[in-house]
Amino acid sequence: MSTPSKITPHLGGRSGPRAPVRGSTRSRRGARSLPARAAGTVLVIAFVTPFLFAVSTSLRTAQDVAAHVLALPTRPTLANFSRVASDIHYPRSVLNTVIITGGTCVVVVVLGAMAGYALGLTTRGWSRWTYRAFITGMGVPLFVFLTPLYLLLRDLNLLGTTFGVILVYSAWNLPVAVFFYTSFVRTIPGELGEAAAIDGAGRLRTFFAVYFPLLRPVTATLLIFITIAVWNDLMVPLIFLQDPDQRTVMVNAYSLLDSRVVRPTDLFPAALLGMAPLLVMFAFFQRRMVEGMSGGALKG
Amino acid sequence: MPMRTRIRTRTRSRTLLPFLLPAIGLYGLLMVYPLVRSISLSLTDSEGGPDSDFIGLANYREMLHDPAVRPALVNTLVFTVIVVLAQNAIGLALAALLRRWGAYGKALSVVLLLPALLSSLMASYIWSSLYQQDGAVNSLLNATGLGSLRHVWLGDPSTALYAIAVVHIWMSVGFAAAIYAAGFRTIPEDVLEAARLDGANRWQVFRKVEWPMLAPSVTVAVTLALFGCLRVLELPLVMTQGGPANATDTLGLSIYRTVFDSGNIGYGTAQSVLLLVVVTVLVTASNALLRRREGRVQ
Repeated sequence: MSTPSKITPHLGGRSGPRAPVRGSTRSRRGARSLPARAAGTVLVIAFVTPFLFAVSTSLRTAQDVAAHVLALPTRPTLANFSRVASDIHYPRSVLNTVIITGGTCVVVVVLGAMAGYALGLTTRGWSRWTYRAFITGMGVPLFVFLTPLYLLLRDLNLLGTTFGVILVYSAWNLPVAVFFYTSFVRTIPGELGEAAAIDGAGRLRTFFAVYFPLLRPVTATLLIFITIAVWNDLMVPLIFLQDPDQRTVMVNAYSLLDSRVVRPTDLFPAALLGMAPLLVMFAFFQRRMVEGMSGGALKG
Repeated sequence: MPMRTRIRTRTRSRTLLPFLLPAIGLYGLLMVYPLVRSISLSLTDSEGGPDSDFIGLANYREMLHDPAVRPALVNTLVFTVIVVLAQNAIGLALAALLRRWGAYGKALSVVLLLPALLSSLMASYIWSSLYQQDGAVNSLLNATGLGSLRHVWLGDPSTALYAIAVVHIWMSVGFAAAIYAAGFRTIPEDVLEAARLDGANRWQVFRKVEWPMLAPSVTVAVTLALFGCLRVLELPLVMTQGGPANATDTLGLSIYRTVFDSGNIGYGTAQSVLLLVVVTVLVTASNALLRRREGRVQ
């Protein structure tokens, strides 16, 4: 296929350092190929169209939309956005959701990293069983035991408190955190910890000074997962937070839209507003996220 | 030497325990305990109030004969199989395609991740609107001359489940593609060169070299996909309420209905336990199979 002159002598190894060579040959071929480019564009369009449609519809008036579903905005208006934003108490909701999401992230990362540290360094029987106990909790849908949780929080007087919701989310996300952190800790050479011990550092110091910084890729991945999952969740705040002032973005959006007849000019702005903070985070951390989503998962 | 190692391990374990306790405490209290309580609740006829009677396995027996539970279970499994297969096949194809396109490919893979940022709730609302009879999908079909393909997507029992599956696939393909893209990157270039030198065309290279080496990615992607599909609730809840004619009723939805609409907590929790069993069995089985395959082909 390729002429002999293109084959460079290898000294073995992975595709990393050679990627530029490979990439340039491939992408030159691929990028030039018109059908491929066309397919790519169709792909993007197919995926992004619902969003484009949402944006376009949000910028039009209700009458416009009712008359012509697929038209572009002729006189774009932000009225829908501002109306919906006020209807769902946007600033307050965002603040509430940020607090809950942030709180969950902190609790999960700290507790998960510590647990991963302990489980990753120990190989005794009980640690394997503890690890397994955590892992089996990974795929559990929360609403499966919403009722006992509700009763439990009520008995603990944590019903209707943001703290209670943070605890619930944290417990729910702990298995994934323990899974990732344990796998990652196991790949850290033991000498690092021992060197710290020789220097007189206790367990806590060793953890914070040596291990935790090394766990940063896992932490980054985890933060992204948790943020998306908690931000977008409806069930937990719906059930556990009754006070309207405490409501999250999703809950408010849901109560706005929960009627038989949903107007597109309410629906699409609400969806976009709900997604906006995540989009901002995505725009900033996009490279980390893609790396995280693919790389972090494979470490285990 | 051996004795020193033994003592070291013992001390290590003990000093590490405090690191584990907070996590165990939180997890035990807010996950394990409610789970146990769920199981005990499923053995009662509780409706949430103070008095409920222990009725043993009656709920489970009722489940076996409930005409609504079996379609729900079947729909959930069909949905899961379709979505997991499609999501992984498309994700793999996309990853294979996009890796050759350099920067353009990278940008595309980012775009593919956008739907993952939406909550299922919002996606359901958006797509409900798109799927309406006079909504965007049908209008688009009309506009491109494919008007004969128009359907009442969510109202027709033969298309409803697939219509919902499309939404789930739309939301999760980017993520699968990212996992496979990373998998492709771990394949050493010299192995690929060797295969090409042997005269293998691109398809053969894929089948004989790349596909086996992607086995770990497959394990991760399939497992995560399974988790996401088996508990699907918001999509059918918002888009079809389980209809038409139970065509899109899933286990998750059935649980929701039993607990929140009928208030029959004992029975609803029994169904939750069923869901949990299904999830655990499927995930454990598929994981074991895939991990074994990893060992075989690598």
